[in-house]
Amino acid sequence: MKYSEIDVAVIGSGPAGMAAAIKAKEEGAEHVLIFERQEQLGGLLHQCIHNGFGLLYFGQDLTGPEYAHRFAEKVRDLGIEVLLETMVTQIASDRKLTAINNRNGVIHLQPKSIILTMGCRERSRGQLAIPGTRPAGIFTAGTAQRLVNVEGFVPGKRVVILGSGDIGMIMARRLTLEGAEVKAVVEILPYVGGLTRNEVQCLHDFQIPLLLQHTVTQIHGEQRIKAVTIAKVDDEKRPIPNTEKTIECDTLLLSVGLIPENELSRMAGVELDPLTGGPMVDPFRETNVSGIFAGGNVVHVHDLVDHVSWEAEIAGASAAQFVRKGKVEKKKKILIKPGENIRYVVPQTIHTQQDVTLFARVKEMEENVQLKIGDILSQPLRVVKPGEMLRMELSQSQLTGLKEGTNELMVECRKRR
Amino acid sequence: METEVLIIGGGVLGAVVARELSRYKVDVILVEKEADFGWGSTKTNMCIVCQGGDTLEFRPEYHRSKLVWTSMPLMEPLCQEIDVPFKRVGELALIRNNEELSKFQKLKARAEKLGMNGHQFIDQDTLRQMEPHVTRKAIGALFDPNIAVVDPVRLTIALIENAIQNGVDVKRETEVIEIDRGVNQFEVQTSRGTIQCRYIVNAAGTSVDKIARFVDADDFVLYPIRGYVGILDKNLGDLVKHEIHMRPDEIGQMNILTPSVHGNLFFGTTMQPAMRGDYSTTRKIAQIGLKNLQKIVPDLSEKDLINAFAGFLMFRNWEVGWHECVVQPSRKVPRFINICIGYPGVSAAPATGREVIELLQREGLKLESNPKFNPTRKAPPVFNQLSEEKQRELISKDMRYGHVVCRCETVTEGEIVAAIQRGATTLDGIKFRTRAGMGRCQGGFCTPRVVKILSRELGVNEGKITKKGWNSHLLLYKSKELIEAQT
Amino acid sequence: MGEEMVICIGCPLGCRTKLRIDRRGEVAKVAGNKCKEGRQYVVEEYRNPVRTFTATILTEKSIRPLLPVRSNRPILKSKLKEAARTLIQKKVKPPIKMGQVILPDILNTGADVIATDDLLN
Repeated sequence: MKYSEIDVAVIGSGPAGMAAAIKAKEEGAEHVLIFERQEQLGGLLHQCIHNGFGLLYFGQDLTGPEYAHRFAEKVRDLGIEVLLETMVTQIASDRKLTAINNRNGVIHLQPKSIILTMGCRERSRGQLAIPGTRPAGIFTAGTAQRLVNVEGFVPGKRVVILGSGDIGMIMARRLTLEGAEVKAVVEILPYVGGLTRNEVQCLHDFQIPLLLQHTVTQIHGEQRIKAVTIAKVDDEKRPIPNTEKTIECDTLLLSVGLIPENELSRMAGVELDPLTGGPMVDPFRETNVSGIFAGGNVVHVHDLVDHVSWEAEIAGASAAQFVRKGKVEKKKKILIKPGENIRYVVPQTIHTQQDVTLFARVKEMEENVQLKIGDILSQPLRVVKPGEMLRMELSQSQLTGLKEGTNELMVECRKRR
Repeated sequence: METEVLIIGGGVLGAVVARELSRYKVDVILVEKEADFGWGSTKTNMCIVCQGGDTLEFRPEYHRSKLVWTSMPLMEPLCQEIDVPFKRVGELALIRNNEELSKFQKLKARAEKLGMNGHQFIDQDTLRQMEPHVTRKAIGALFDPNIAVVDPVRLTIALIENAIQNGVDVKRETEVIEIDRGVNQFEVQTSRGTIQCRYIVNAAGTSVDKIARFVDADDFVLYPIRGYVGILDKNLGDLVKHEIHMRPDEIGQMNILTPSVHGNLFFGTTMQPAMRGDYSTTRKIAQIGLKNLQKIVPDLSEKDLINAFAGFLMFRNWEVGWHECVVQPSRKVPRFINICIGYPGVSAAPATGREVIELLQREGLKLESNPKFNPTRKAPPVFNQLSEEKQRELISKDMRYGHVVCRCETVTEGEIVAAIQRGATTLDGIKFRTRAGMGRCQGGFCTPRVVKILSRELGVNEGKITKKGWNSHLLLYKSKELIEAQT
Repeated sequence: MGEEMVICIGCPLGCRTKLRIDRRGEVAKVAGNKCKEGRQYVVEEYRNPVRTFTATILTEKSIRPLLPVRSNRPILKSKLKEAARTLIQKKVKPPIKMGQVILPDILNTGADVIATDDLLN
């Protein structure tokens, strides 16, 4: 394939990138090219050796590498081109793209469409400004996961994990099975940040102490970390004086949040939603820049990989349509606004011509709530948690039934009386 | 080992002395305790140089101020000679009320009396144009066009490399444990053997007094002051283009926001006495820091912060004001020169280097010019700063420049290998020399890869790679090692 | 005879149910669940708490240091740590295909440990 004639360029080959590329190809895009900075297709899936992937998408309980394998095979079968060990360094709003690798040097392309599927990065210690010394032995949970599951190292044997996000809990189990002692998982909120499934299967199963409403207030150790001080926090997340305890450890893992990786999106003039950290998208997953689409964790951080792939497929299909017709057909635009207890909603705008699925996260855990979208949807829920994403389906008939002149719809989550 | 001059400390001051000495035909050894250069006070600061006007605050007739404004015209040419980045940003000292205005008027007058004529008063409208994001509470500013920023660690490394080029012997991870006075020489015990020397230049930063005490050469008292520096996201772009300075509302605070030479914004705040070696930052300091920062640019918030650290400055006479520094031969021990600037050390470096040469000569050191001295040192290529043509050329010569390892700062394997070839042996060494690990993700993505490259290039197991030398190993066990030990 | 606490993971509610266990070790009563699917889950979880076992195995003569593996069906959760221990000595060589049996019938559970990725070189 001549690199000068790319229909769809996909940036990143994780569960989003591969799904988007496959769908674009299946929907008629001829020349699809995936850029991947690592040595193989699959993005972070290769370091996720645990199961829980594909329960919805394939109806099977797969591990990360197995999930990646299914998609990678399809990529190969469909003849989608892949540039491995290639870093995209720039994209512009006219879709001019620059990438670098050690075989082709500096590559310049202007694909007819671009799909952003770069995923996310982890929040770091520096951003938390955790007081204390700066010794070796502090890793984000994802970096530790790569070291343990791909590189063949166990960073230490007495581990404290800050944050009960899914990655933190999964690493608690992983390190225990590799012979380390996980002394505590420390969580600032009164509930676990990730899925309950992980709380049970990673922490309870191995009797790993879970310290809710606690945080790390100091790091000790000059060369290598040797202890952390933890303290209980109040409902405003402030450390309560005189509750400090010191836990000796040689490793601290941080599982304190994921941030969609949108450096390239910014460069291309893509408007980001400050609530998600990702691009503002419509139901076709098109951004404000014509011909640039986005899907997966780069748009908003998902819980399940299955949703990542499904969302990216929307972007893939839209990109294919864009290439075929020069644009994606859209009717009337309605702005979605997050209301009470809703942190964000994706997509941020919808159109009235077809069914749409809305994804949202709440700000705080609440039981017995009513989830409402304007006047057209009202659904009772037993419990909502920030760590478990909500899905709301709106049918075309519900949307066309909206009052004339409706420009906005509010999504809210109120406590039921 | 025997030498003529031993320099203790490879921070910016030790390094500049080494480079100055390398202009002459004299045996010099420099020993540095850490695994790389500039890791003490040199690396934990705001990177601001050419501060002549600023230091007039601290009594112009004093030695420190003289060193700083003598250095002013020397810094840019030095940076060009040894190929380190230098950016003339200029300083805006914000004026919020008449009291501040009159203080600055006095400062300007003092500066002009000493021949510094660049300062200008800027009115509110011009200030808005120059810096639209700065607080509306400022009614104007005093503009100092001389202020610039550098990367002090790169500067230090460049000075060291130039010194090595010109014959200085430099030893890393070498700590001075004891010094004995002989008749006409010193016997210095280090963690890597004994060195005999005739002259000692003690540039050991926060350990200057400790080192001097080995031979009773300490005729000064130093007070450690800890400052706090924060680094903001590069995405803020050129939120401010100049170094912005706001007078502290409380003693022990400084409020400075400046672009760095690499495109981040740095802010500095809070200075307080602290236990030497206690680099820990507390939550309270972090909060004060942010509050002060918001006084300068109200739009900034906690989420813009990507890292923060503490740094030490060694001062004399803290209680009466920051007047003096130590750049002098010991009054008690011949041929022993102590150097400690406190603030601003990097700014004062060029003149300090020259002055130490004079001090050594006065102590009896005979110096003959080295005709082979080469003042030029070339930095290794910085891939993301090169033109595309140069990038292609580089990749075709060495494939490793086509492999991007640090995606946040676009640092290639080629640059990491070059840094290792020039002496980096640690993760932090790579970080300070190439910026890999200094970006948004703070090493989350590149750390495993950098460790692999270090291991490969140095020919050692990954388990031996450290974060910052000595015992700061990163990976304590190999897969299965722990379970095996348990069964 | 006694009481067991089981967290249901059927939905985000995560009901903390209490199971009354009779003299024969059977579940006599379930309290705390908010739906009947949850009741079914927690009883099954009490009787037969199984988990999919996932781990890595050391390689030799390969550019990759590790091969990720899993049990092809869930095993008792009480056997997970021991299962991890049985893998310590095992080393595998390329070529290996995803799905290939690495260790049959681990700990007499009837589950095989299989590769979850290819190891081609």
